[in-house]
Amino acid sequence: MQRRYRTIPDLKINESACTISISDAALACKLTAMGVLPGTRIEMVRTSPFGNAYYVKVDGIRIALREEEAASILLEV
Amino acid sequence: MMSKEADRMLRVALVGNPNSGKSTVFNLLTGLRQQTGNFPGVTVEIKTGRMRFPSGKEATLIDFPGTYSLYPTSSDEKLVTAVMSNPEDAFFPDALVYIADVTHLERHLLLLTQIIDLHLPVILALNMSDTAQEMGIKVNTAKLMDQLGIPIVSISGRKEDNIQKLLSEVEKILKTPTRTADNVFFYKLSDSQKQIADAVRHNLGIENPYRALLLVHHGDWLPFLHKQQREVLRTIAETKDFQSLRAQVDETLDRYDRFVPIVRDAIQHPPAFPSTATDRLDAVLTHRLWGPFIFAAVMLLIFQAIFDWSGYPMDAIESGFGILSEGVQSILGEGWFTELLTDGILAGLSGILVFVPQIALLFLLIAILEEVGYMARVVFMFDKTMRRFGMNGRSVISLISGSACAVPAIMSSRTIGNWQERLITVMVTPFISCSARIPVYLVLIGLAVPAVKVGGVLSAQTLVFGSMYALGVIAALLSGWAMKKWLRTREPSFLAIELPEYRMPHWKNVWLSVWEKVVAFVAGAGKIILVVSIVLWALSRFGPGNAILEATQQAHKEAVEMQLDSNQTGDLVQQRRLEASFAGKMGKSFEPVIRPLGYDWKIGIALLTSFAAREVFTGTLAVLYNMGSEEGDINNRDENAAKATLRSKMKTETFSDTGQPVYSLATALSLLVFYALAMQCFSTLAVVRRETGSWKWAALQFFAMSLLAYFGAWTVYQIFS
Repeated sequence: MQRRYRTIPDLKINESACTISISDAALACKLTAMGVLPGTRIEMVRTSPFGNAYYVKVDGIRIALREEEAASILLEV
Repeated sequence: MMSKEADRMLRVALVGNPNSGKSTVFNLLTGLRQQTGNFPGVTVEIKTGRMRFPSGKEATLIDFPGTYSLYPTSSDEKLVTAVMSNPEDAFFPDALVYIADVTHLERHLLLLTQIIDLHLPVILALNMSDTAQEMGIKVNTAKLMDQLGIPIVSISGRKEDNIQKLLSEVEKILKTPTRTADNVFFYKLSDSQKQIADAVRHNLGIENPYRALLLVHHGDWLPFLHKQQREVLRTIAETKDFQSLRAQVDETLDRYDRFVPIVRDAIQHPPAFPSTATDRLDAVLTHRLWGPFIFAAVMLLIFQAIFDWSGYPMDAIESGFGILSEGVQSILGEGWFTELLTDGILAGLSGILVFVPQIALLFLLIAILEEVGYMARVVFMFDKTMRRFGMNGRSVISLISGSACAVPAIMSSRTIGNWQERLITVMVTPFISCSARIPVYLVLIGLAVPAVKVGGVLSAQTLVFGSMYALGVIAALLSGWAMKKWLRTREPSFLAIELPEYRMPHWKNVWLSVWEKVVAFVAGAGKIILVVSIVLWALSRFGPGNAILEATQQAHKEAVEMQLDSNQTGDLVQQRRLEASFAGKMGKSFEPVIRPLGYDWKIGIALLTSFAAREVFTGTLAVLYNMGSEEGDINNRDENAAKATLRSKMKTETFSDTGQPVYSLATALSLLVFYALAMQCFSTLAVVRRETGSWKWAALQFFAMSLLAYFGAWTVYQIFS
């Protein structure tokens, strides 16, 4: 069965998608406070030099996220 | 009690998100009238300063760490919650100034709405209004003011626009606190949350329902709660089936739902954000390949700069103290009091101040990198690498700072949210070769390593010097890795960091940051260095019974027999007295322990005296090897006569029992490794105790590092001898 959502690691460079929700409660707390909200558009900018971290843009601000953090943000397909 | 309360200085708090320009405003309002104090319970220092209103009245301005919400994830952020939810707190403000970046207002108001719900008197300062204007952002302040129900001032911290207006607004709400009506809240509590708030009011007497709710959220860690109160809060949460994390997210989303429309209604953005210089810069600076490469180049440049530039002021300070010390001697004449002044206090002070240029320079460069926004990128690039070794991307900043001085470096670990990662950072930072190790390295390398080129390019001395730094980094990373295996907590760890726009450094912030670090070093490390220096002076000045007196007489007798001139006699006397002193006795009783490392008792004394400050090592050896007092300063960085003399004296030194020469390449390398790895700094241990809250970690650090240094030095000696 096809998944109903994607996550940031699934995005290609320069691709963007809308957030549906954040799966991990502790991370949701932190990320929503930073302004990563359901319905906002997230653009993948690049991955970190040694992998496992993502440079994304959310509504004109730039945020660095770890693999787990990025994977907890569920995006529209 | 009442009158005391009325007389006390009014307190104004500065709060806001990270990157809101809060510290620029703080520095602008207080200048050098800043202090740091300890906040009990959460091991965080809090910055305060004096601010002056147009009327001439003064108030204490408190700079709170930048935070997004009253639901904190690091000890820095916890401080804000701890103060705001406790009106009894010594830092609880009479009024607040909320700094928000007006160019990103939609994501800067969450914390403000929480503060409004606590019914604290607050002013919103829309910062960076100059940038907003350039970007074509139009702000309807009247509309915002109407919707939020609080005073609002548009300011620019960098351009210093409208600061007087802000000040007079603050003075106004201090006089007549315009609080929101008791029944108006931004966030509407759910029915079950209302019941919870009622229960808290009933049991703990807390009237404000949002404050009551915060207490239930944070009951397990808020430092001002008693055990009993914690019990009560836990019971309330359990009976109402309160899910803290879930409730936090719901509340946050609910708040956004309410204030985002208000912001959108009052602010007109131009159609789209243009692709900015920041994006173009980051395409290179955080590039998969170029990113780390540029970082390495920046680090090299920084160290190059430190070595090239800080030598001159260091030499000046040392010779200045030399002159001062001679002056004291000529005025007061000989005697133990003069020696206390010159060899104890002045030597101690010189040992502290000589490092100030290097520390100031390194922190200047770090502050610039931080101000322009580069450090956040470093955190992003190296998070993965540091996590392997039990740390966090943010640890990189502490480790780099550690190459100046571990004391301020350890204090900068406070931004690391996860306790374990922060602890590991605190524990391993002292492995990084700090500025106090440099003179020791330089002398030992100058003595032992021949000045030849390796492969025709690099000099062997430079290579060994670089290896000492590499050894420190490797030791730090490997012990981090070991601690990670050993500790294992399941506390959540975050990277989630904002990468701010690149901008020109705001020089006032840079200078104040350097000032703060230097003060941290002088006040924190300096005091202890001074005390240890005096204690060591006493240990080397006095001996058991008549030992010193006898040694002096014996030395004079020998001097006469050997027909030495007065200077040489003085040197011989000094040497013999040191041998007979408590320090000398300790060094001798110490010899069996350090013999396997290739050291004799003289090096033992030098190791002991290094506890004041590592660079004392060379001075002590100079005395012990009976160096002429006329031969100049051994700590001089350049090749000089003093070093050459010390080298030749050390070369002729032999072990008394075997007749083998003491000083060999093996001994020098073993000493280098020992100094690179050993914990020889009481100031660092004191800071570690303060930051971790117990002597346990400081003791562990001391023993682990010393053991590692011992076995490292032993191994090197065995290999090379």
